[in-house]
Amino acid sequence: MTDVTGRAAPRRELKKRSTSDANVRKRRARERRFQAYGVAALGSAIAMLVFLMVTIVGNGYSAFFQHEVALNVDINRDRLNLGPSPDEDALARASYRLVVRDALKAEFDTVSGRRELRTLYGFVSNGADFAVRDAVLANPEIVGTTQQIWIKTSDDIDTLLKGQMSDVARWQPQSAASVTGTTGTVTITAGGQAFATVLEQVKAHLQDVADELAVRQARLESIVEDQKAAVAELTRSNSNPEEAARLVGDIAANEAAAKQLSERIAGLRQRAAAAAGSEVLVADLPSYLVKINGGLVKITEVSAGEAKGEALLPLQRGTPAPQGSWEIVSYLTPEADRRVKDMEIAWITKLQAEDRIEERFNIAFFQNGDSREPEIAGIWGAVVGSFFTLVTTLLISFPIGVLAAVYLEEFAPRNRWTDLIEVNINNLAAVPSIVFGLLGLAVFLNFFGMPRSAPLVGGIVLALMTLPTIIIASRAALKSVPPSIRQAALGMGASRLQTIAHHVLPLAMPGILTGTIIGMAQALGETAPLLMIGMVAFIVDIPGGFTDPATVMPVQIYLWADSPERAFVAKTSAAIMVLLAFLIVMNAIAVVLRKRFENRW
Amino acid sequence: MARDLDVNMTEMAPAAAVTGNSDISLPMPEPLAAPKVIARKVNVYYSGVQALFDVDLDILEHQVTALIGPSGCGKSTFLRCINRMNDVIDGCVTEGDIQLDGRNILAPGEDVVQLRQKVGMVFQKPNPFPKSIYENIAYGPKIHGLANDKAELDEIVEVSLERAGLWEEVKDRLNQPGTGLSGGQQQRLCIARAIAVTPDVVLMDEPCSALDPIASAKVEELIDELREKFTIVIVTHSMQQAARVSQQTAFFHLGKLVEVDQTEKMFTNPTDERTHGYITGRFG
Repeated sequence: MTDVTGRAAPRRELKKRSTSDANVRKRRARERRFQAYGVAALGSAIAMLVFLMVTIVGNGYSAFFQHEVALNVDINRDRLNLGPSPDEDALARASYRLVVRDALKAEFDTVSGRRELRTLYGFVSNGADFAVRDAVLANPEIVGTTQQIWIKTSDDIDTLLKGQMSDVARWQPQSAASVTGTTGTVTITAGGQAFATVLEQVKAHLQDVADELAVRQARLESIVEDQKAAVAELTRSNSNPEEAARLVGDIAANEAAAKQLSERIAGLRQRAAAAAGSEVLVADLPSYLVKINGGLVKITEVSAGEAKGEALLPLQRGTPAPQGSWEIVSYLTPEADRRVKDMEIAWITKLQAEDRIEERFNIAFFQNGDSREPEIAGIWGAVVGSFFTLVTTLLISFPIGVLAAVYLEEFAPRNRWTDLIEVNINNLAAVPSIVFGLLGLAVFLNFFGMPRSAPLVGGIVLALMTLPTIIIASRAALKSVPPSIRQAALGMGASRLQTIAHHVLPLAMPGILTGTIIGMAQALGETAPLLMIGMVAFIVDIPGGFTDPATVMPVQIYLWADSPERAFVAKTSAAIMVLLAFLIVMNAIAVVLRKRFENRW
Repeated sequence: MARDLDVNMTEMAPAAAVTGNSDISLPMPEPLAAPKVIARKVNVYYSGVQALFDVDLDILEHQVTALIGPSGCGKSTFLRCINRMNDVIDGCVTEGDIQLDGRNILAPGEDVVQLRQKVGMVFQKPNPFPKSIYENIAYGPKIHGLANDKAELDEIVEVSLERAGLWEEVKDRLNQPGTGLSGGQQQRLCIARAIAVTPDVVLMDEPCSALDPIASAKVEELIDELREKFTIVIVTHSMQQAARVSQQTAFFHLGKLVEVDQTEKMFTNPTDERTHGYITGRFG
């Protein structure tokens, strides 16, 4: 059908052309470049992920361990207020605080005074009573005897022992030392500039402090400059004399402060620059402790060859200490900035020497609910809360979502209304989750008067949030079932319901389940809507049902991240790890389901 | 493959075609048997576009009726009217009157599910359920409640597969998925599935177009055998296939039934010029 028209037109031919080498090179370069971009994108994504994981694990792994101390507890009947033959109930109700305190007092009998005793009692966790109680309940026969019981240390002690409170360094000077005195003030003399390092470090610290102060001074001086300029402006315009007068007063005060600072700085710099001599160590300088002759000396004054100090633990002998038998331990964070003081470090040193402090797996982290005390706080309450919440979410959103998807996909006529519904479902998936929280607050709490902080309400709210995801995923799964299957079933005389129930849904199920699990994972990680319905409360008890006050894992992470105690930093990361583990498991299930059931037709 | 028109049809070269206008009133062929399905004035519209125009056709009992015609001529549409599979297409409207054993199956109150038990269907592409071979066959009898117990169901499965000539090939692997069979086996499985509910009429929509010639030959043989028990309507693009398996042939063109006659006569001496043109391969 080429020469239909017989018109004679001059035939034009295409000139033979071939692509140039430059063109080919350019094309190849473009492709290589594109691949390089892809690899770079992937590489940076992986790097960020690895960085995230390393940070979280690095921060959090220590929360899975907890230092415990072995205390010799005298389980004294009288101190426990127990009769001659107490029943289990009486044993459970007794207060074990006194016996724990007695044990601590007995351990460190030199401690006296209210404040010191309070510090001593704070050496172990507030949950120590329960550890003793559990031991007694496990074996009531120990009442009246003295038992060694492992008790958690307080979070501060634990943090210090994990090296998170202060940089700790220890070294053995290369010389022998002689001591004078075993208690009270002790003088340690050692040859070979044994304390030169200490002196250097102290001077460096002084220099650092001076530099910090210099920054502050500079800032003050620039403020004074600004204020002077403002005063000049005000006097020229003569508009606001009171303000000018006030500023003049401020300038005087600031200048005085700056002068004071500069004097301090000069003093510090002088001390830092002085070649030798001695330094007095006070509480805002790093702590240097000398472990010598079975005792612990806190250095208060140091020169290159001699250190004077206070014996925190009495020395057992006054004989000279040979090289290698004594060491210096430094805590770079000054005592004044540290929650654990040098006295407590001395107690730790004593117990460590007796092998009575151990880092143990912190099983309580997986058994307890929340607590104000980091060493007692656990994730289990939040895990159970998340479980109840997710069960509610699943029970509501799965059937409703799947039925809605089946109706929309298989039964609903295509008209303006179903189009509108479809658009709205797609839009709902993009609604910020906090809006669902507000809805839950307004409707479920205020209107229906449902309980606050309950997994039931949280689950309903999250179900609303998850519904669009499930509906969209289910519709896609239903759509992907080949029409030939439907035709086959319909052609056999199956009704529409039978066609869907017997053939379409089973084939779509992997896709539906994948969508549901992804929706559930999303709900598991959701915080914002739950804040609005009170699931952000501090809840110690492990929830026992759907209407008990509860919190969920992401909210627990948020709460811990908000807590001031240092130990909660690790707890936060550990909780993130637990949450991530759950998410990974859920996504793995989704992948397995997809792999197992896909391509069956 | 099905669209390949073999021009080598000289031995049945048509006599001079009778010229007639397009809306000829069809002279019904001498009935060889009683009509099983009687279609009168069937009009079908897809979203307002008319696809079938006043089709009048009698389908004879225990015969194979072949529907031929170029693509888009409405033969499949007509086929799907007979078990109302067009109902599931959005915007499809069917008008007219189709009697199956004297009942108008297009009547609004007609139970479609029951109708489809009486009028089975085999599709172009083999579409076994992604279930075991046994389940594929047993599904129809189960949903229609045709078997009282397991033994009866087993018998239905066995006989259906036997009738479809598949029993010997699959009897040892009834529990394996039907989708694991070869294309030809799958199509015979679909035929077995269709006859397991003992329909009166079996509709086949280009059942061999996805199969290789050997598998097609087997299916054609099967169709010929099944004629004793069932009334068969087959849509085909292959002229030879129509000539081989059918007793009656209807030629559709542009939504109209152009001509219907005994197959032998259609291929040797068609009345209409267009039929002549089509079967000799001048268009289509």
